[in-house]
Amino acid sequence: MKNNSNLGILLKGIIKENPVLVLILGTCPTLATTTNVVGAFGMGIAALTVLVCSNMLISLLRKIIPETVRIPCYIVIIAGFVTIVEMIVHAYFPALYDMLGVYLALITVNCIILGRAEMFAGKNSVGKSALDGLGMGIGFTLALVAMSTVREVLGNASFAGIPIPFMEPFKIEIMTKAPGGMLVYGLLIALVFVITRGKAPLKKSFSCAGCPSAGHCTASGACNTEVKEEQAQ
Amino acid sequence: MKTLIIILMSSVLVNNYVLSRFLGICPFLGVSKKLDQATGMGISVTAVMLLATAFTWPIQYFVLDKLGLGYLQTIIFILVIAALVQMLELFLKKVSPSLHKGLGVYLPLITTNCAVLGVAINNITDGYNFIEAMVSSLGCGLGFLLAMVLFSGMRSRIDESKVPAPFKGIAITLIAASFISLAFMGFSGIVDNLFA
Amino acid sequence: MKSSIKSIIVLVGICTVMTVLLALVNSITAPIIQENQNAAANAALLEVMPEGKNFEQVDISAYELPATVTQAHKEEGGGFVIQLTTTGYGSDFVIICGVRADGTISGAKCLSSTETLGKEKTYGENFTDKNAEQVAAVETISGATKTTQAYKNAVNDAINAAIILAGGSVDIRTEEEILADNLAAALPAGEGKFTKLFIVEVIEGIDAVYTADNGKGSVCVVGETFVGIDETGKALTDDTALAAKLEAQMQIITASEQTPVDLTAYEGIHKNIVSVSKTATGNYVLEVKGAGYGITGGDEYHPASGEYIFIRVSMTPQGKIIDTLTVSQKETDNIGSVCADEKFYGQFDGKTQADYDSVEGISGATLTTKGYKQAILRCFEAVAILEGGVANEE
Repeated sequence: MKNNSNLGILLKGIIKENPVLVLILGTCPTLATTTNVVGAFGMGIAALTVLVCSNMLISLLRKIIPETVRIPCYIVIIAGFVTIVEMIVHAYFPALYDMLGVYLALITVNCIILGRAEMFAGKNSVGKSALDGLGMGIGFTLALVAMSTVREVLGNASFAGIPIPFMEPFKIEIMTKAPGGMLVYGLLIALVFVITRGKAPLKKSFSCAGCPSAGHCTASGACNTEVKEEQAQ
Repeated sequence: MKTLIIILMSSVLVNNYVLSRFLGICPFLGVSKKLDQATGMGISVTAVMLLATAFTWPIQYFVLDKLGLGYLQTIIFILVIAALVQMLELFLKKVSPSLHKGLGVYLPLITTNCAVLGVAINNITDGYNFIEAMVSSLGCGLGFLLAMVLFSGMRSRIDESKVPAPFKGIAITLIAASFISLAFMGFSGIVDNLFA
Repeated sequence: MKSSIKSIIVLVGICTVMTVLLALVNSITAPIIQENQNAAANAALLEVMPEGKNFEQVDISAYELPATVTQAHKEEGGGFVIQLTTTGYGSDFVIICGVRADGTISGAKCLSSTETLGKEKTYGENFTDKNAEQVAAVETISGATKTTQAYKNAVNDAINAAIILAGGSVDIRTEEEILADNLAAALPAGEGKFTKLFIVEVIEGIDAVYTADNGKGSVCVVGETFVGIDETGKALTDDTALAAKLEAQMQIITASEQTPVDLTAYEGIHKNIVSVSKTATGNYVLEVKGAGYGITGGDEYHPASGEYIFIRVSMTPQGKIIDTLTVSQKETDNIGSVCADEKFYGQFDGKTQADYDSVEGISGATLTTKGYKQAILRCFEAVAILEGGVANEE
């Protein structure tokens, strides 16, 4: 957080600290919902909404919430917003709801959201937290759309449900299946590394289960035990 | 009995939570570097999954459904899981310090493991009865353990090989995981045909 | 201690606030979600009733509906969409049928079918906008008579079900049930078990006679009227004129005695005539066998089924058929086997050699019909020989 200007806060989530491709967070929805562009975009927007709302509310309450019950409070707030988003999607976008299934509810345990709450919203003003949530959400959405584009075009010869006829003979169906997801994700991460050439802080280790707080929470956070353990070894 | 075996086998092999449903990917990538870590995490997750289902299933059917509070499902489930994990940790610390030393470190990570919440919710959406839900949880936990153990073997080989710079770290790990997932795809259809 | 109390209060407070918020959103979205789900479930219903709104499932166990009805949905405008399972050409098929409040059909569609001909797929379109009477006039498709007839019956059942569900009452009994009910009412002593009597005498004013299986009398059918005749031959009716007439006729029937005719004494009687007997009044009762499916000549049995159709015919000396009965047959199920149906063989009653061929054949079973008619012809020939001078007396 060298650049604390508002624009900087917004942009760092999109490029420099892209949650999916650089920080490697929220891997579960990234892999599960990117079989087609529509689902991925929907997932991204849903997560963005939850992220912005929870960031703002947590930032607003950061002086009231006691340190000891911090995590449960965050979880309740996040789960609440997730459920609200879930109900709205269910009511107004039933097709998307069917497509995302359980992954919508699982935004609750998406590490990006809890991570931003712990790392940013708990320490910064409401406005900045909202911007941070927006930036991270856009970054998450863009990464999901990029990945789903690769998977849908190659695997299903279509983009957002619109068929691409000349791709039809070259369909690689495995791309829409589980192995294809992991393969594309791995290749995209490598590609981002090549493009940024080390400018982005590449995460080499998965300590703390890829928790965003890894760098910050060793002293205070919930998952410090794991890091200590690794360091001990 | 046959349905139970089918549920167990399909949740271990065919619908493996990690490799085909992408639940619990974070610990799968994060804690699979060494075999003992992978085993410890796998066993902890299995235990928490069973415990979580044992609590969330009755809560759903006897409290939420009865009161028409279905929309509180996510909030209640995640709180129950968080509380259970806390209690399990305290319990282990008191009763068996050695076990706590082995598994305790993984427990705080499990709260935000989507596989646990995923199992709890899926058991409800799939309309399982209590026994079936427990069996399904056991299967998912064992499937997670299996994937972790298999993958830790692969990870130790990757660590010793020379990897091109852009692929170092996560990229090569994901590509390796993709191969294991590919291998698990071979199981699809096998369960139905075995017991049909 | 103080801090932990504060922690608990804050946590509980946040939980409460979130719960209230959720309840609020839920109260807005829940009706919409419900509506969406209904819309999805009602897609099939709308297909047969496009104008329908707010379908609601009806508990059909509370009504006495035709047995084919499996599901019913009530619509806002008073119409019903009825789902029925019926049997066509040997297998079940499911029909969904919309009936408007005014009793006309809004649409009928076959949901699932393993029927062979595939004509039932579009057959439902014939019923659109028709009322019960017009439905009855819809023609069955030749070559798929059985299936299309079942379809028609199902649509008819749907109309009746809609009337019943709307609070009206309809006679949903099948023809057999109506007959059984009428017989039981006419002669309670018969305990509901009757067999149609094969009539060998010329009787007037009686369409059919059923005898009670327990021997406690019989029932005469005169047009729409059913009159019981008890063991002593007394008619159970207040109409003395009718009673006297029936009693007299029944006398003739019951008094009738038959003596076998030695066929070897005659030449030219066809080999398919199994036996002939003669009543005191000179009428003939012939047992004849006809060939069923597969033989063009109509006199030989089909090698595949290995069986003839056995027919009993009673005839006046003048060659007029009194009564006909298919005694046994092994024709193809649901096609040729229709020859055992009274609706088919009953057509021959009253016919002579001049007009018997006008009898309507069995749809889809031309060869069975041909064999049957051939057998009837053999009877006419035999009676002519037995009566006429062609008899060969040694």
